[in-house]
Amino acid sequence: MRLLKMHLLKLLKQIRPTHKYANMHAPKIIITIILLVIIIISIQKFLSGGTGLVILKKELKSIFYSPIAWVVMALVMLLNGFSFTAALEILRKADVDETLIGYTFSSTSFWLTYFFIFPVITMRLFSEEKKLGTIETLLTAPVQTIHLLLAKYIAALIFYFIIWLPSAMNFFLFRISSAENINAIGSFFGAYVIISLVGIFNISIGCLASALTKNQLVAAMACFTFCMLHFLVGFILQDLPVPESWQSSLFYFSTVKHVEISISGLIDSRQFIYYLSFTILILSFTYNVLEYRKWKS
Amino acid sequence: MIKVSNLSKQYVERAAIDNISFEVESGEIVGFLGPNGAGKTTTLRMLTGYIPPTSGNASIGGHDVFSESIKARQKIGYMPENVPLYDDMRVREYLRFRAELKGLRGQEARQGVSEAIDLCGLKQIRRQMISSLSKGYRQRVGLADALVNNPELLILDEPTNGLDPNQIRRFRELIKQLGIRHTILISTHILSEVEMTCNRVIILNEGKIIANDKPKDLSRELRSANTISIEVKIPTETAQNLINAIPGIKKVTKEHQVEEWSHLTIRTEPGNDVRESIVHLANAQGWPLREIRTQYATLEDAFVEITQANTSNS
Repeated sequence: MRLLKMHLLKLLKQIRPTHKYANMHAPKIIITIILLVIIIISIQKFLSGGTGLVILKKELKSIFYSPIAWVVMALVMLLNGFSFTAALEILRKADVDETLIGYTFSSTSFWLTYFFIFPVITMRLFSEEKKLGTIETLLTAPVQTIHLLLAKYIAALIFYFIIWLPSAMNFFLFRISSAENINAIGSFFGAYVIISLVGIFNISIGCLASALTKNQLVAAMACFTFCMLHFLVGFILQDLPVPESWQSSLFYFSTVKHVEISISGLIDSRQFIYYLSFTILILSFTYNVLEYRKWKS
Repeated sequence: MIKVSNLSKQYVERAAIDNISFEVESGEIVGFLGPNGAGKTTTLRMLTGYIPPTSGNASIGGHDVFSESIKARQKIGYMPENVPLYDDMRVREYLRFRAELKGLRGQEARQGVSEAIDLCGLKQIRRQMISSLSKGYRQRVGLADALVNNPELLILDEPTNGLDPNQIRRFRELIKQLGIRHTILISTHILSEVEMTCNRVIILNEGKIIANDKPKDLSRELRSANTISIEVKIPTETAQNLINAIPGIKKVTKEHQVEEWSHLTIRTEPGNDVRESIVHLANAQGWPLREIRTQYATLEDAFVEITQANTSNS
């Protein structure tokens, strides 16, 4: 224990603040370790026994064997194309210091469309099973609820990542086709890291919404509302007339701020902690919603 | 195989299941009978660990359905009411998924699936989408799913619901065949089904067990008053008067009269066989007698009598 502490302190001394937001503290490291342990334990649990993988395989099949996945992907690509073109247009017209990536991921057209993806991905996860009644055959088979939950969540997450893959092509194609070197690899990775983190969090909200109802429309609307509320809270907090000392705490909630920081090329552990811990919290709510029928009255 | 003791399920305003206890031995086919809303599905759901009991215990093959839920569930093949299936899968694909979910892998799973397909007669439709199947086939896919890992216990909730008479007959054959290898608990409100397939019947009404016996014993018990029907060729009134005079007869009722033949139903006191006296009477009077028959109470009579008597009492 003492060895570990010494080691941690040594690590802390090595880290120097390199950015105005980047100042590591001991609690943060501990929280990061706890989060990692939780994530590793849940992955290990998910893999044990193999029923989780069976459900995951089935979920992926039902997503990608149906036209829904491809329609959604095509439409998201189309919308991404718009954001990308809009960003190009801005860069062409004015002499600005932002990067192409920065403009693409902070444009209005990007944020307008972004939150529609989550309800589409997550609304059928549990509500469809409830509506069809197959949740009964699933949960009376020797399947643990945690396996079911993680399989569905991971399937939705994989779908989400695949939806975003083609958007990266835009930047590659631009780089190949123009002599221009955008030269912003940090910004590029930052953007995709934050898109992933926000996705990880919002999909857990979708899972919860879907587990609460057997009506897909209600699930979709609930998911959209809560994703949007979270986003707006961060948005509104920015402009609140609060004392300066509060600002730094309030910025924790602001997705827009997180995206801004990440796109500047800084990958900050605080965002990992924020989104991952909220994801775990919301997935644990979802677990309890699924187990609700087992609560003794 | 199944052991249920003092099981209760309390919903907010009423008790769905009220303190029931029963046991099912290995190898039995037990019919779980009751009018709609008697609590059959609730009981089966508690046995499969889908919902918890308010109080009491249930165990499957020695494993408590709640504290050792996964182990208990491994022993059960459960076919829920209305057979929920994924419409966007093909029959064999679905069964393969279910087999893997129940812990079968690779060759084992393939074998389990093909055996279930053969047993349930799904060979021609194994490549079809489930959404395109008729009700009868859906039911069979549900049964194949329950069978796929060859569980010791089959729990079938209204498996013949919505089938046509031919399909019901085929289903019955299948159940009998399965009864050789499996313990079966089958819930239904179709009585002929239970009478023909089950070794034992448990009748549930308003959350209580009101009968637990062999189907034959159950109907015999109810034949407390014997019923005899006869057909004689004389005016009804004359016959009624004379038969009423025989000792041990409770009541003679006229059913109908076709041309000169009167059809009468005679109820006698328990344990009193009056058929001989009636034949003697007919001989002495010189009545042409063309039919004399004892009416056996069916399980249907038993069911109606038991459930209605209990409902009016409570």
